[in-house]
Amino acid sequence: MKKSMKRGTVTRRGALRTLAAGAAAGLGGTLGAPMIWAQTIRDVTLMHVGPAYSIFPDIAAKASADLGFKVEMQNAWTDAIMARVLGQPDTIDIADLEFWALQRIWRAQKLQPIETAKIANWDKITPLFREGVNFDGSPMSRQGTLPFKVQYVAAMGDKTFAAGPTGLATMMPTIFNADTLGLRPDLVGRPLESWAELLSPDFRGKTALINVPQIGIMDAAMALEAKGEVTYADKGNMTRAEIDQTIAALIALKKQGHFRAFWSSFDESVNYMASGEVLIQSMWSPAVTAVRARGVNCEYKGLKEGYRGWGNGLALMRHLDGLRRDAAIEYLNWMLTGPYGAFVARQGYYSSVPETTQAALSPAEWDYWYGGKPAATEIKDPFGAVMEQPGRIRDGGSFEARVGNIRCWNTTMDEGEYLVKRWNEFVAS
Amino acid sequence: MHKSFSFWLLSAFFALFLLFLYGPMIAIFVLSFQGPTGGMTFPMRGASVHWFGDLVASTRYGDLAGAFGRSLILGLFAMLVTVTVSFFAGLGFRRRFRGAGALFYLAIAALVMPGVLTGLGIATLFQTLGLSTNWLTSGLGAHLTWTLPFGLLIMFAVMNRFDRRWEDAARDGGATPVQVLRLITLPILAPGLIAVALFGLTLSYDELPRSLLTVGTRNTLPIQIANLTANVTTPALYAIGTLTTLLSLGLIVAAFVAILISGRRK
Amino acid sequence: MSPLNMSSERLSQLQVAPLAILLTLFTGLPLLMVVVLSFWPFDGLEYAPGFTLTNYAEMFASATTWRTFAVTLRYAAITWAITLLIGFTVSYYLVFHVRRVKVQIALFLLCTIPFWTSGVIRTISWIPFLGREGLFNMALMKLGLTQGPLDMLLFSDFAVVLTYVNLFTLFMIVPVFNAMAKIDRNVIEAAHDAGATQWQILRDIVIPLSSTGIALGSIFVVTLVMGDFLVVRAMSGGQSSSVVSAMKNNIDQLYYPQAAASAVLLIAVVLAMVTAILRIVDVRAELSR
Repeated sequence: MKKSMKRGTVTRRGALRTLAAGAAAGLGGTLGAPMIWAQTIRDVTLMHVGPAYSIFPDIAAKASADLGFKVEMQNAWTDAIMARVLGQPDTIDIADLEFWALQRIWRAQKLQPIETAKIANWDKITPLFREGVNFDGSPMSRQGTLPFKVQYVAAMGDKTFAAGPTGLATMMPTIFNADTLGLRPDLVGRPLESWAELLSPDFRGKTALINVPQIGIMDAAMALEAKGEVTYADKGNMTRAEIDQTIAALIALKKQGHFRAFWSSFDESVNYMASGEVLIQSMWSPAVTAVRARGVNCEYKGLKEGYRGWGNGLALMRHLDGLRRDAAIEYLNWMLTGPYGAFVARQGYYSSVPETTQAALSPAEWDYWYGGKPAATEIKDPFGAVMEQPGRIRDGGSFEARVGNIRCWNTTMDEGEYLVKRWNEFVAS
Repeated sequence: MHKSFSFWLLSAFFALFLLFLYGPMIAIFVLSFQGPTGGMTFPMRGASVHWFGDLVASTRYGDLAGAFGRSLILGLFAMLVTVTVSFFAGLGFRRRFRGAGALFYLAIAALVMPGVLTGLGIATLFQTLGLSTNWLTSGLGAHLTWTLPFGLLIMFAVMNRFDRRWEDAARDGGATPVQVLRLITLPILAPGLIAVALFGLTLSYDELPRSLLTVGTRNTLPIQIANLTANVTTPALYAIGTLTTLLSLGLIVAAFVAILISGRRK
Repeated sequence: MSPLNMSSERLSQLQVAPLAILLTLFTGLPLLMVVVLSFWPFDGLEYAPGFTLTNYAEMFASATTWRTFAVTLRYAAITWAITLLIGFTVSYYLVFHVRRVKVQIALFLLCTIPFWTSGVIRTISWIPFLGREGLFNMALMKLGLTQGPLDMLLFSDFAVVLTYVNLFTLFMIVPVFNAMAKIDRNVIEAAHDAGATQWQILRDIVIPLSSTGIALGSIFVVTLVMGDFLVVRAMSGGQSSSVVSAMKNNIDQLYYPQAAASAVLLIAVVLAMVTAILRIVDVRAELSR
């Protein structure tokens, strides 16, 4: 029922575009109401605030042109977005957040659930988000914030998350990826297969970790677990004892001079790697690309213990209602139609709706980014610069091989406050 | 003649200091002309204006021009308010008055409060009052907490040993308070006021921590640049530095020349 | 006295009123909010109005608090000493050795130009100089002074202090230069004629008469270093933390009450430092002379 309503709007929109093109004659009396709607929706301006890897003026311009109302984008650090959602909700209409952020801010009730029936492509969203299952239908790892855990609420106004699909989503999933370690194959001198290599004495003084407590400790935990030093019940939600063990191991390593640095921003991680300061470290996919763009060999190596996953989604602010909420839903729908998915694919991230993304990418691009096949042509970045030569294969292989091996997720831990305290201690040690 | 040794020694010291000061800036300047495949570090791979062109051609840098414009306008407002308010406050502080100590320590508190906390406090205050944050209201206010204490303290330095007998003499000669201000006080303090103005403008123009939570839905230049470091790792970042430095310098020089010319016509 | 029949105290209060209003609004009230926030309880996920001393108790009990304060104070002390030395020497040179006022102003302006480049960009631009493959290491190895690259140049306390000095020296130069420029040349000539040595002139005339500038510059530099988190993060490679960078970690995680408590402590410490400086040199005393 709701679905057909949705389709109704889409057709109306199509009709309106025709109308705008000057072909109004003879379209029939039903257009009376939409006309008024169209005249006012044009005055709507939506503010989409998100992290730099998701915010593109090109996409805002294309969305505005396609939708007939204005979409503006502002980029901000994730912590600043969370702070603004809580403190200045009216400066945001659509918040672009990582899933773990919901554990922190959902219950403040500054966001409103989205009726999944109003999202035309909802059923095409990868089951990973919708049902929390892997490609073969087996359950995904629930270590950390598997997006599915915070994907639904049972009713409007609920402060806690529902265990399964309900028709009310907290966010609409957009992009995600599987993270691993970046390394310099030319300088490490031997093939590396395990996360344990991050702590190998061979690389003393030449390793780095991300300086975000809950992500940095997870990378360290992957390595410590691989090395057999510490076992975790749940790396994504450590106990105090596990945090203590991990931090103690990290402090010991730091005292030995094992770490060259801890990076807080993307450019730092790129510079460490490109300049040879660091040979193996926590890294993000576009950072690896940026190092390679400088002609420096850098690999985003798939390791046998698997990947650390993360996902982003778009959330509606609570203050949106009536016409503005309709416009926001239109925009959310548009974001899953392909152009945005293709844009982020070219920087190495996956779209929540691979099907529409495939349609928006060239076959060669699709095969390279999702298929894990050798590049048939030159591969270009989102801004048109050549980044890979024909024949190159994406590190880690196909979509299924990478995403299917996610073993833990970026998260907010129950002992988060204790973790941050101990992490600060580690950094200051 | 016996002075010449210390003169040369100090000249060498000064030259070394300038080298130290300009080193990073020259590096930025040179590296912004990297070839298309060059990185953010030496060596240079060819020389080109590729990265400047990229700033205009590519949309990946967002609304740089807008952010630059906002920062400049914000800087100018902060400068005007800082000069005016610090000037009068400086005059006021020449006499003892009730509350002087409290006000002085409030200014010092504004100086020592960590910027991120000031921003957070102002954002929370606006939220409590039901006002929405905007770069020209809460943003300007946040910048003023930084520029005003600087302005006030520099006014103290400027007004120290300012001989008030000039003012007294003018007043005895029948000048109105406004005339005293315009013809005596202002001209004598002018160089100091220019220093206050420059400080106000620069501090606001380059302010990041206080801006993060207070500028609302439009980014200022430092925020835009800091955000860009999250996904741009090319010499384009240096090109932004070179370009904005040249532009703002050009504007200042133009402003000073304009002031000089209009001053001479009098 | 005044033509408007206004008492001079009234006039003063009127003159400082805009400052008082602006500071109350944008510093007084936010500061009050921070103080209130520092007493709010935090349940692990969010904070709510209330009253608890837990935030302070935990902060004072933690060794990390004291270590970060010690590290930050050490940065402040070293940076202060170096900027004072440079700032004083440069000002002295400009005021007493550069005779022509136009040259003096031109050289002074030359010192200010780098401040027109974004501080963020100027900070990261040290990396090409100091890195393992940076210019300094290349030069050192070419000259045969070292065998391999020196790691301590970058991502170290050295790199942090170097960047502080580079960014903050101007804040020392401006007030010191200003104070020195106002020293009456005749006094120095007279002392010189009376047979005073350069050193005596420096010690007995120049330093006392520029003490206001030195005090103000010191206040600027100390507060700038104590409030920084960007430089210490970027240039220590995240290897050390300052008070504010640890606080920023808390703010990023939305742990506002904890951040507020450490802010209150920091403000108290820095206010005490500034008060100590003002005890030695009262910058307001000479105003009413």
